[in-house]
Amino acid sequence: MANMNMIQALNSAMDIMLGRDRSVVLMGEDIGYFGGVFRATEGLQRKYGEHRVLDTPIAEGGIVAAAIGMGINGLRPVAEIQFADYIYPGIDQIASELARIRYRSAGEFFAPVTIRTPCGGGIRGGQTHSQSPEAIFTHVSGLKVVMPSNPHDAKGLLITSIEDDDPVIFFEPKRLYNGPFDGDPNKPAVPWSTHPKGQVDEGYYTVPLGKADVVRSGADVTVITYGTMVFVALAAAAALKLDAEIIDLRSLVPLDVDTICTSVKKTGRCVVAHEATRFSGFGGEILAVVQEECFWDLEAPIQRVAGWDTPYPHAFEWEYFPGQERVKKALALVMEAQ
Amino acid sequence: MSQFVFKMPDLGEGTVEAEIVAWHTKPGDSVNEDQLIVEVMTDKAAVEVPAPVSGRVVSITGEPGDKIAVGSPLIVFDTAGREAGAGSAADAGLDAAVGRERPGASEGVAAVAAPHGPAASEATAAAVAATIPLEEGGAVRGASGTGAAAAFAAPPLVAARSGRVMASPANRRRAREAGIDLATIAGSGPGGRIVRGDLVRVSARPRVAVGGEVVAETSGERSVAGVGSVAAAADAASTTEIKVIGLRRLIAERMSAAKRNIPHFAYIEEVDITELESLRAHLNSTLPRRTGGGASGAGGREGNADTRTRADGSDGHGGDGGAGIRVGGGVAPPGLTYLPFVVLALTRALQAFPQCNVRYDASREVLVRHRAVHVGVATQTPDGLKVPVVRNAQALSVWDLAAEIRRVAERARSNTATRDELMGSTITVTSLGKLGGIASTPVINAPEVAIIGLNKAVERPVVYQGAVAVRRIMNLSSSFDHRFVDGYDAAAMIQVLKDLLEHPATIFIPQVSIP
Repeated sequence: MANMNMIQALNSAMDIMLGRDRSVVLMGEDIGYFGGVFRATEGLQRKYGEHRVLDTPIAEGGIVAAAIGMGINGLRPVAEIQFADYIYPGIDQIASELARIRYRSAGEFFAPVTIRTPCGGGIRGGQTHSQSPEAIFTHVSGLKVVMPSNPHDAKGLLITSIEDDDPVIFFEPKRLYNGPFDGDPNKPAVPWSTHPKGQVDEGYYTVPLGKADVVRSGADVTVITYGTMVFVALAAAAALKLDAEIIDLRSLVPLDVDTICTSVKKTGRCVVAHEATRFSGFGGEILAVVQEECFWDLEAPIQRVAGWDTPYPHAFEWEYFPGQERVKKALALVMEAQ
Repeated sequence: MSQFVFKMPDLGEGTVEAEIVAWHTKPGDSVNEDQLIVEVMTDKAAVEVPAPVSGRVVSITGEPGDKIAVGSPLIVFDTAGREAGAGSAADAGLDAAVGRERPGASEGVAAVAAPHGPAASEATAAAVAATIPLEEGGAVRGASGTGAAAAFAAPPLVAARSGRVMASPANRRRAREAGIDLATIAGSGPGGRIVRGDLVRVSARPRVAVGGEVVAETSGERSVAGVGSVAAAADAASTTEIKVIGLRRLIAERMSAAKRNIPHFAYIEEVDITELESLRAHLNSTLPRRTGGGASGAGGREGNADTRTRADGSDGHGGDGGAGIRVGGGVAPPGLTYLPFVVLALTRALQAFPQCNVRYDASREVLVRHRAVHVGVATQTPDGLKVPVVRNAQALSVWDLAAEIRRVAERARSNTATRDELMGSTITVTSLGKLGGIASTPVINAPEVAIIGLNKAVERPVVYQGAVAVRRIMNLSSSFDHRFVDGYDAAAMIQVLKDLLEHPATIFIPQVSIP
């Protein structure tokens, strides 16, 4: 075991997969010689060579398209889109080609492509470096969508994603790269070395897709969340001294309906929290599932905590970010009803 | 057939249930709008409920003694012939407006035709909702008929929109599993929502047996004669069963609660009211006679006053404000009893003892001191004890107080007191003077913390200014809530009251210095 931040854990996952499987290739903007803007691929080109770790032009559509071709022809590409905010030029390739290859070819072809991309706010990145577009991809059939919240899960999930024969969009909440973040920007940053999930096995291991993690078990209320909001929710529930059950989904598609519903049936109360904008957000899907599966157990209307329905702002980031106060408000509302 | 389901209305702010006292109609009767159909009683007031529509009574819910939740069906009218088709036309219009398709007609007919089946609550709720557009003339006029088949399809559709039971899904499941019909219980949550506590309360309470054997409709008395067995017949001669319902049940509940929760302590003091009696007699002697005709032997002014004093009960008690007192065949303005003097003196004394003019809010553990003195007047009525309230007694003259005491007492006796006239007292006065007795230990009218009782005023030989003299003496028997009123303060308050009553002029001297 070693102390790792999320960047180091991701680097370790790719390192291991490059070493284990000669078909694995990395590609993306500045990931090779430079080692990636967040240093996730640092040292890997030096170690595995320019033919395994490729620098690409600034052309996301091209990166995805090339990865699809490589995948169909037997490679196992891991493409990095530098920021999720830049993924839109690649969407046609992702939605129209990547997601459909297996279906369109009646299973004859498939593209085992993993697209890594840093997402989320909290880093004063403004509208072009802070978005959380996961719901756009969960809505595209044929894609798997993953978002870890800590180094341990990040490494295991990335290895599983690379090994998966179908496309996975792998979102990395960049505010969590260096440490857990409870939503309070005025507190000193906390490094992963202080957190148990910063203890990462140096060798090969996997974390399955479609299996949520009950981060904290409790009886009062279920908080269903993922990514950055896991730690915000933990802090908010603790501040209210609630015995909350906090569920980190880890993978949005496939969704761990069993874990969600077992918990909500136990507590009868549910709050859904994510950084992304609320309207048509992934929270709406979770809410629908809970309503369908747990209706007769609900003590109160389900509450949603999400980003405001505006583009991510340059100024007033901490008014926009769904911090502890907003989570607390939702928790109070959902606890109030009888 | 067009049905109108009348639900138990909220007869006062936040009333959650009402008890049926007496039905004045039965299934099969035809009633007219505004005709009295049922008497019910809420926490405080008895209310006569008129028919909201004209029609034939199809069914009624509950018997005397049963408590019916506000919002649950009380009576079903068949209003056919008057509004047939109108509701359907209105609903058709509504549906047309929202572009909705109607469900199959048979579904609706089934629900309406089975008022006692499992679908009854939905059907009745629907029927109520269905009548709503009738009141909105525009909706009726604006609608175009869509045929008879659609007429009966409307209610179930409407039921989904309004007149619904409010409860969380989890509580709906709990109710289903416990066999509780949510339509029959009142919700205490926001907007009348049924919360978990309501279910716990209902399931803890034994259900009133439907089809019980209440015989007497109004008195609640029931003879067991005719039950069938010889033993029962024999018992019938020696016993009468009286169901504890209505006001009696309420009195019982409140008395038990007061005695159970409040550590009472009693304090009894005698008051020399010779001077007060003199003042009272004088004031009564100044009353004009309203009618002069046929005065029997009441010649002069003095004689008139004497007669009046005697007619007044002669001892100044005169009940809790009686009706007009007959004097020599004419009706005179009623004379003053001791009660308004005592109430007025009490309001003066309470200025120095605000800790006795209090309502205790147990839920918040807060003593709410009132600047105004709202005096409850314990009143015997044909139904039992009631406590109507004289508001802002401190601001009234002794004459106004007398009139107001008389007014509220009469309202209580005639069962016409409003809910407000029976609520909100900050201290209560009770008088058993008429019947004699030297002392009593009155029960506090919770959530107040003190009650002042008047005993019979009698002339007694007492030592007065060094010699035995005949003086008019009245005992004050009072109880205090020892949690919040210390014995010292209670005694001091009664002493101030005594001092005021023994020197009645001081009652009327503003800002009299009170120790």
